[in-house]
Amino acid sequence: MTLTTQPVKTPPAARVRRIGRAAAFAPSWWFAVPALLVYAGVVLYPSIVGVFYAFTDWSGIGEGKSFVGLANFRAILGDEQVMGSLGNTLLLTVVILVVQNGVGLLLALGVHAKLKSRALLRVIFFAPVVVSPVMVAFLWKYVYTPDPSAGLNGLLGLNIDWLGDPSVALWSIAGMVVWQYAGYSMVIFLAGLEGVPKELHEAAMIDGAGTLQRFRYVTWPLLAPALTINLMLSTIGGLKLFDQVFAATNGGPGYATETLSTVLYKQAFVYGKFGYSTAIALVLALFVAAVSLVQVYYLRSREVAQ
Amino acid sequence: MTDLRDARISRAQFFRMMGGLAVAAAATACSTNPQTGGTTAAGASGDAAVSLKFVGVADQKAPMDVLLAAYKKAKASVSISVSYAPTDQVQTSLRTQLGAGNAPDLHVVYPGSGSAMSMAEIAKAGLLADLSAQAWTQSIPTGFKPAFQQDGKTFMYSAGSSVIGAIYNKKVFQEAGIDTPPTTWTEFLGVCEKLKKAGKVPIALGAQTPWVTQLINYALVPSTVYAKDPTFDDKQAAGQTSFAQSGWRDSMEMYLELQKRGYFNDKPNGTTFEQQTSMVATGKAAMAIQVSAVLPAFRDAATSPDDLSMFPLPGSDDASTVWIPAGVVVGLGASAKGKNAEEAKAFIDFLGKQENINLWAKAIAAIPLTQDASSTIDPAVESFLPFTKDKAVPFMDQRWPNAEVQPTHFAVVQELLAGKSTVDEALKKMDEAYAK
Repeated sequence: MTLTTQPVKTPPAARVRRIGRAAAFAPSWWFAVPALLVYAGVVLYPSIVGVFYAFTDWSGIGEGKSFVGLANFRAILGDEQVMGSLGNTLLLTVVILVVQNGVGLLLALGVHAKLKSRALLRVIFFAPVVVSPVMVAFLWKYVYTPDPSAGLNGLLGLNIDWLGDPSVALWSIAGMVVWQYAGYSMVIFLAGLEGVPKELHEAAMIDGAGTLQRFRYVTWPLLAPALTINLMLSTIGGLKLFDQVFAATNGGPGYATETLSTVLYKQAFVYGKFGYSTAIALVLALFVAAVSLVQVYYLRSREVAQ
Repeated sequence: MTDLRDARISRAQFFRMMGGLAVAAAATACSTNPQTGGTTAAGASGDAAVSLKFVGVADQKAPMDVLLAAYKKAKASVSISVSYAPTDQVQTSLRTQLGAGNAPDLHVVYPGSGSAMSMAEIAKAGLLADLSAQAWTQSIPTGFKPAFQQDGKTFMYSAGSSVIGAIYNKKVFQEAGIDTPPTTWTEFLGVCEKLKKAGKVPIALGAQTPWVTQLINYALVPSTVYAKDPTFDDKQAAGQTSFAQSGWRDSMEMYLELQKRGYFNDKPNGTTFEQQTSMVATGKAAMAIQVSAVLPAFRDAATSPDDLSMFPLPGSDDASTVWIPAGVVVGLGASAKGKNAEEAKAFIDFLGKQENINLWAKAIAAIPLTQDASSTIDPAVESFLPFTKDKAVPFMDQRWPNAEVQPTHFAVVQELLAGKSTVDEALKKMDEAYAK
């Protein structure tokens, strides 16, 4: 998938026979059968059954529900709240995608260097990832206190209503998410960096390449698989963003930080429209799948081209 | 198999020998469940007690603690396991349980029709037991019936009503030279001005907590809407009037006037209910427009709880046309389909006894649903009593037709406070949500 500079060796005939026999008697996917069964029972079956509700007007409780065809999906297109939250979600996703991976890459390059404290730094940068997103949101509510003498305002000498001002709140949420997950991107980039052969750097140095040139022509191309994974994970994470928003602002002030996930949650549990909520969830799932597929297709083709 | 059955019998005999009458009585109680009695080991050992499950909202913990202890004494064979969660979380978890068909035997129910866990919504789905046969339901005041009843049947228990008004710090008022609470809107603005000049925040507002956003409108609308037309709800339901065409507009403008004059704390949208509470309790702010049910929380946060009292927020310039909001406090219902429905209803019947209504109401500073000589009323809400007879209306959401109007109200108020919306736009959004 990455560098295929060596010619492919033809395996000896004996080895081919052995593999052939083994494949006939013990197909490797058999091992996955128990896991697949559990997955099918716990994930696939409920998901597929759940799709049915997207075509009903079920309130979420009681027996009363009737089939409404595509009415829920037509309603989504005319729903200001859903469309507004789609805009918020896309903006959040792009900001998180760029900033989280940018910071993650810088952190990875930093702790990859031969610093004495690098092991400690790796732990520190990764630590927020393991904290529950809801905890992070509560913690950041203190950091984002509107009091000019405390929190981030006090530290930076500002007077900003981080979570209460509709024009700032979405960015505040993005900052919180980036803070939490930059360490995650870092770890994936770090794995990519560990895989860059020293010989290539040495060869480049002999050819007279400087630090920046070595990064541009040696490290960066070899980080392509790590970048693919990171971009995909942060895209999916951004599109599905819920916990942090729900705990920090509950979609407010007004509708300023409403995301697709908080809207579909409210439709189901606050407004009592379970059927409609399932329809939004289905659209969101298809949307995430489509974006991820396009992204993977594009990024993978780029990897092969390297 | 035989061994097992023998073992069980001998154990039952052993208990009967040791426990005597108590166990025998419990065994009789359990015989209401003939299909389980004696068929399994669990059934035999369960003879000792019926266990009910109650899921409540955090506000119900204080009164339930008192009443569960009393019920334990009255009926030792029934144990009730309880869990509580804040409003928004309890709605999610309960709706999930109700939707999946495993409702707790007893659970929180919101009065009227305006939320996803409201009496009307859940009763319509056939999930609430009919309580109409219980004696206490006969004395529900007429004005409160829509909060308790659907199609003439009672589906919810509640201990009384709470009011919305200004919770204020008497000491701060005295320091600013204010002797008596205001009785008209103009006087109220004058009081705020005095407080502001005295260097205090006149009104603490924690609008980041969604439900807090609604309270100022709820306090004003009885005067600006219902005092002029007590049948507003019926007309709105019939499509003859709307939020935009009514005194709701005045109330929104009065709300914003308070902000424009600088009577709120800085950045209300970034301030939470907890911060609001502490501002008034510590004397940094003079007032908070709040529901009387949170008085205990304000008192807990104060160094001297006696400094805190309440007065009605006057929403009119003529003291004789000031009305107040008095809403039925959040209640509880019994699951219609649980196998312990009878025991659950018996517990509610117990709560309906006058002394228990009194206990519940006392714990949350509410006005008891029905009163006798031993009923007490929190001194802080005494100033509301002259209004409760014919100048009080239920909280607005209790008559709203769906669960979407209230959250829309929260959002438009936050937008108004942030200057991101106009009163026209806000009322239009509420009318749209009402029509859904």
